[in-house]
Amino acid sequence: MLQVLLNSLVYASMIAVIAVGVALCYSILRFANFAHIQFAVVGGYLTYSFAAIPGMPLPAALALSAVATGLIAILVDFLVFSRLRDITPEGKMIVSWGVALFLRSVVAIIYGGGARVFDLSYDVVAVGDAVFTTLDALVVVVAAVLMLLLHLFLNFTRVGSGLRALASNADLAVTRGIPGDRLIKLMWFLSGALAAIGGTLLAFETRLQPNMDLIILLPVFAAVTIGGLSNVFGAVLGALILSLAQNLLIYIDFGALLGGESWQIPTQFRDYVAVLALVVVLLLRPRLSPLAGR
Amino acid sequence: MLDFAIYCLTIVAVWSVLGLSLNIQFGLTGLVNFGQILPFGLGAYAAALAAQAGMPWPAGAALGLAFAVVVSLLVLLPARRLSQDYWALITLGAGELFRLTALNAPALGGADGLTVPRFADPHLALACALALMAAAWFMAHRIARSPFGRMLKVLREDEVLAATLGRNPVTYQRTVSIIGWAMAAAAGVLYAHIVGYVSPSSFTVTETFIVWTALILGGPGSTLGVVIGAAAVQLLSVSSRFVAGWIDLPADVLANGRLALFGLVLVLMFLFRPQGLIPETKEVRDAERH
Repeated sequence: MLQVLLNSLVYASMIAVIAVGVALCYSILRFANFAHIQFAVVGGYLTYSFAAIPGMPLPAALALSAVATGLIAILVDFLVFSRLRDITPEGKMIVSWGVALFLRSVVAIIYGGGARVFDLSYDVVAVGDAVFTTLDALVVVVAAVLMLLLHLFLNFTRVGSGLRALASNADLAVTRGIPGDRLIKLMWFLSGALAAIGGTLLAFETRLQPNMDLIILLPVFAAVTIGGLSNVFGAVLGALILSLAQNLLIYIDFGALLGGESWQIPTQFRDYVAVLALVVVLLLRPRLSPLAGR
Repeated sequence: MLDFAIYCLTIVAVWSVLGLSLNIQFGLTGLVNFGQILPFGLGAYAAALAAQAGMPWPAGAALGLAFAVVVSLLVLLPARRLSQDYWALITLGAGELFRLTALNAPALGGADGLTVPRFADPHLALACALALMAAAWFMAHRIARSPFGRMLKVLREDEVLAATLGRNPVTYQRTVSIIGWAMAAAAGVLYAHIVGYVSPSSFTVTETFIVWTALILGGPGSTLGVVIGAAAVQLLSVSSRFVAGWIDLPADVLANGRLALFGLVLVLMFLFRPQGLIPETKEVRDAERH
């Protein structure tokens, strides 16, 4: 059971770091940005490339990748989304898929279709009958620190308050002298950088491949939906709930529960939980969702 | 060369049906279906399963249509009365679930997929595809011109207005989804018999957005536009193998370059010509006379 909790925590950490960016963007610009998933993929690959430079320590490569991906996010906004602020949210979603298709294909052209693995060395730690690696611990700590910093930034700095004001009422915020355009750029930078870090952590734990976007797409959007699209820390909670549900489902021995042969749900079916969670949340709380009253 | 032209035309016809199906959902009604590949895949797998069981092709076709209708109702159940963001997420999730099921269920062939008997005669395949396209076109055209279609446009522009006219948006959305999904499933059945096999890799999210690219390129809401969009996108796809012969590029680079181009087209259309190549003709009646 402890093992389930540990696994859930590690998986939730990676998903949460990516998911908060979707929520940040949704809270301010009011559309689900599907290109966000590609920021994570791009970030993972950029870390890989920066780390390949001789003498570059891995943390520095990660930091460089985060900055570069944040700038890419700003560039995408400058080239595409900033020119389409007035179209419908549906239109923006469709455009974000166009951007996603473009980014994913460019990554696949540059890096090829094969998987790449970070050459990391780590130790295995045993706690009771559960095991985790020092890499797992690092992933959780990095994610926790990032979420804490984001929380402090949004709630205890002037710029952070500006972002929150923009999210709660953009027109009023701009009327009151908050520099909306600059803050939107900052929002893109933050979500791009966070996605890059999340993508890199995921690549540390698994491997880099162009279709890793399909692997994280459903969990990330399910986590954000559970948390209520525009709620940044709801996304973290959503990631935790989802991850726990996924790992529990695989852990529970349904066969034994029903008194028969031991039978567990195969691991490949964990994404069903993501979609099921999505459906359940939408069935239970459509009225609570931020757009229900639109 | 003639064989190749016949093949191209067949593929264009099949994808036009898929585009027309998306057009009555999004172009007319404003439903953002990010799982358009799902009914297509259901049709294709139904054809394959029926063939595996030794049943004749009409059984597979009937099975495909039945699957599509049932699944569309299932997907609609949580999606109804939700904003389009959630509609998009639900359909996207449903499409991905189908792909994962096909990938992991041994009965569906897993990653290798299933084989389907091909059309013996490519001319027959072309004739079937064109007939289906004509039927889909006729249907889309009739819907767009009917009072039902006009109400769909009202629904697209303003759901509350539709409700004040005494129409229940959910009923309309359900009807449109069933028609649209059945169309796409028919295209899927045909596609399976043309290509000769089905595998999960043919039904990814990317395929959904190839249909979207065709729709946005051609012009949402415009029947002719969607067919032209589908033709442009699919001809570009099949012609890329010639380009590979001319310029010495590896196949995967070319395939990805093509997808990058589609993404770019989608974005550029939104930026510079959101109404598409062939814009929807807006019906203006007495509105401007007064």
